[in-house]
Amino acid sequence: MTVHILETEGQVCPFPLVEAKRAISEIASGDELRIDFDCTQATDTLPRWAADEGYPVTAFDRVGDASWTITVQKP
Amino acid sequence: MILSGLALGAVLGFALQRGRFCVTGAFRDIWLVRQSRWLTAFLVTIAVQSVGIFALDAAGVISLGAETFPWLAAILGGLIFGFAIVYAGGCATGTYYRAGEGLVGSWIALAGYALSAAIMKHGPGAPIVEGLRGVTAPVGTVHDLLGVSPWVLVAVLVVGVGAATWHHLRKDAARTKPVQLPAKRKGLARLLFERPWNAFATAVVIGIIGIVAFPLSYAAGRESGLGITTPSADIVAFLVTGDVELVDWGVMLVLGILVGSFIAAKASGEYRMRVPDAQTVLRSAGGGLLMGLGAAIAGGCTIGNAMVGSASFTLQGWVSFAAMLLGTGIAVRFVFGARSRATASAPAKTPVGV
Repeated sequence: MTVHILETEGQVCPFPLVEAKRAISEIASGDELRIDFDCTQATDTLPRWAADEGYPVTAFDRVGDASWTITVQKP
Repeated sequence: MILSGLALGAVLGFALQRGRFCVTGAFRDIWLVRQSRWLTAFLVTIAVQSVGIFALDAAGVISLGAETFPWLAAILGGLIFGFAIVYAGGCATGTYYRAGEGLVGSWIALAGYALSAAIMKHGPGAPIVEGLRGVTAPVGTVHDLLGVSPWVLVAVLVVGVGAATWHHLRKDAARTKPVQLPAKRKGLARLLFERPWNAFATAVVIGIIGIVAFPLSYAAGRESGLGITTPSADIVAFLVTGDVELVDWGVMLVLGILVGSFIAAKASGEYRMRVPDAQTVLRSAGGGLLMGLGAAIAGGCTIGNAMVGSASFTLQGWVSFAAMLLGTGIAVRFVFGARSRATASAPAKTPVGV
């Protein structure tokens, strides 16, 4: 299993979500995608997207002021 | 008396930031992901406000209504505004609250928006706006057009929006709960500064703020409700003329949004100065300038027109609301259409790090 890293810091919403959707379509089943982001709105949209798509979230936390990271697994 | 504007603006900025209440996102979702959850929340703010302000109108506290309908300006300005907010990364209020979160791109968009609104309202653009807004139809409101009591419309709106909200709440309850950030606080501090706010609860709060705005603004001599564009233009005009008459309740309101969203972001660890890349700078500047132009022509932004105007059932409010939604759809095709097509044709590229 590989963890792919998608850095979206500096991108405003909805770009982190748009990029995440693209990135997950390119990785292998069973791999994880870690998305680092600093758009506040994505704290709502990314976990909601993962829940709706049925992707397990293996990590979701703050890494500093207005900085977050979320890791989802491609089933 | 105008200080009540600052206080109400701060409450509004706080709610917008904590609720992640982005009208641009709500409009964009319709076209980009075909979802109406946030647009329904926006309609909740209109419905809640509509009930409150027609009650205030009936009680004689405020006076609603419009004599004419500047249809050309409402359509044209609405289209421009709806298009611009996608590039600016937020509508007028969205830009104010993101500026309070430390997004430098939003500071740029905000400066462009206030400047072009001032040019179109106080400067050389004023005759153009007046010319466009001079093209009118002789009926100003939906209830005058249909010849019914406004309460009929309020009832239809409340029932319709209530049904849509019920549909979304049931859908929310049936779907998998999104994972939340680890809890670090308890009680009131968690509710205010940590826990994600429900979209529909936030919408009710904002609708109530919209109602309260009317009597507070009236008491300060400004006879309208929430408004963003005119106050933003007035700030620029005041700064270059020194005319203190321009500093009214509305000016305090928009400054309050900045204060409130800054407090909310800072207290929840969500404030940080974020400097955008060159492309975002250009988009923010261009989007901001167009946004001021569109709002000045349309006679309001997503708040003044699409929310307050629609709540008071003016034709300008509903028609510019529809035009804004359409403008957003056009911009989404430009911004995201090219992007998704490029991705579809080149699926093999691997910009994802390992």
